[in-house]
Amino acid sequence: MRGIERLTPYITSALALIPLAAIIALTSLITYHGLGALSWRFISSSILRGGVYEAVVGTLLLFSGATAIAAPLGVLAAVYLVEYAPRSWLTELVERAVENLAGVPSILYGLFGFTLFSKLLGFGISLLSGWLTLACMMLPIIVRSSQEALRMVPRSIREASLALGASKWTTITRCILPAAAPGIATGVILGVCRVAGETAAILLTSCFYTMRGLPRSPLDPVLSLTYYLYILIVAKAGDTPLEVIFAISLLLFLLVVALNSTALILRFRYRGVKRW
Amino acid sequence: MSSPSFFQRLLKMREGGEALTLASALTSILIFASILIFTIHEGSWMLLRPQYLLGARWQPEYNRYGLLLLLYGSIIVTAGALAISTPIGVASAIFISEVAPRWIREVMEAAVETLAAIPSIIYGFIAYFFLAPWIAAVFHLPLGRTALTASLILSIMTLPTIISISSEAISSVPMAYREASLALGADRWQTLWRVVLPAARLGIFASILLAFGRAIGETIAVLMASGCVAAIPNPPWNLLSPVYPMTAAIAIGMGEAEFRGLHYYALYTLALILLCISALVNNTARLLIRKAPRGEVRI
Repeated sequence: MRGIERLTPYITSALALIPLAAIIALTSLITYHGLGALSWRFISSSILRGGVYEAVVGTLLLFSGATAIAAPLGVLAAVYLVEYAPRSWLTELVERAVENLAGVPSILYGLFGFTLFSKLLGFGISLLSGWLTLACMMLPIIVRSSQEALRMVPRSIREASLALGASKWTTITRCILPAAAPGIATGVILGVCRVAGETAAILLTSCFYTMRGLPRSPLDPVLSLTYYLYILIVAKAGDTPLEVIFAISLLLFLLVVALNSTALILRFRYRGVKRW
Repeated sequence: MSSPSFFQRLLKMREGGEALTLASALTSILIFASILIFTIHEGSWMLLRPQYLLGARWQPEYNRYGLLLLLYGSIIVTAGALAISTPIGVASAIFISEVAPRWIREVMEAAVETLAAIPSIIYGFIAYFFLAPWIAAVFHLPLGRTALTASLILSIMTLPTIISISSEAISSVPMAYREASLALGADRWQTLWRVVLPAARLGIFASILLAFGRAIGETIAVLMASGCVAAIPNPPWNLLSPVYPMTAAIAIGMGEAEFRGLHYYALYTLALILLCISALVNNTARLLIRKAPRGEVRI
């Protein structure tokens, strides 16, 4: 025991370096191998000509649609939980549901979306099924971070507004939501970050292997960067130039890291600056 | 009971805003309940006809769905991942919350959040193109995609969960515990080893459970790293042979399975097992976190 205790500081610090080493190794591997082939031409030319244009547009379409569904729902749900609901069995039930949703593996969302949206509701393998499935996945992230942001808004703001004669709804829309906006935005960006890199859920609901061109309506299938990368590696590893695969990985990595860093910076700035 | 008050409130709801927000809040319940109902409904079909499930082979083309093979694949990969990530994760959590100066702590927290944000397909890509060839070269294997490869990549993916939840647990051990120990003459590391860590053990255990839940539900990275061969390794603890985890079977099989055919129902049975495991693990972890001591000590 003595010996171990004397060594603990060194062992602990050495082990703590591993996550840092992992992120540095990951970043440099992906950048080093991907940088060669990544160019504006690569992003803006069609898949048929060796680019990834359809996949980039597909990814943007998928996550913007899902956000348009999940963000209002999630924020309003958080408003109910923080502003309206008394501590009751109903609030408890909603919070349990949100916590459990956050823990459901993404492949199960994919399976659920496939059975309900694609088959039983008849939307097929389509952009619309993908939107709905991804919206379900984003919802818990947005609800939880919005709840946290709303709870940070001090009582005095609510009381001041109510004392001036504003109704509760006016207080919420004019005072509380603006004050909580940075926190809510952070949550939405984190949600986007999760679904922009998601593969398993859209694999079953919205993408086709043979898809060419852009979807013409929400009921058409769509390609995304993640799905295209998956297909190139798993199904066609032999007959795709490796530079293409590496370049797509780098593009996806940059997209996700940019989104995540935006969220981190937003949170960091407002945590430091706002003093009520 | 608070239930009457809820219905009274519903009747007295004067503002449209409250109804709107209430409806949004109920959506979460609706979604979770539908996931639960669909998975149980579709997953129990084959559980009620177990003659398909108990074989020693997983061969959808011959209607053999011996799912114990796949469960074994998931479990060995997850166990391997946690064996690697637990010591690293807990040590990093100790380092972040007890040792590191502020700026190092912030750098590490940003690194951990970035690790958590990287999509699983990127981890799968790394495993497929860099880790697997390396494993193949080191152990002289024909193919590097093995249970060990999947465990290694999963161990990196589970680090953020272990680090963030454990460091929160360690930071929320009451200051008074530390002060009492230091006042008795223990040094900083003795205090950490004998007082702080034992007090934070529930939270640390919860973080490992959550990491288990994340690892067993991970799909794409595992699919690309594990080799996807449905067989029990020989000997069973041999991490250097390929395995076929449940999630990978769902992702690969669902595309070709006939809707509501045997293969489809077999895959849904896997989904039901997965949902039960992850719900159990997540809810236990939450209970543990709630039970952990935090804040001021009452004397």
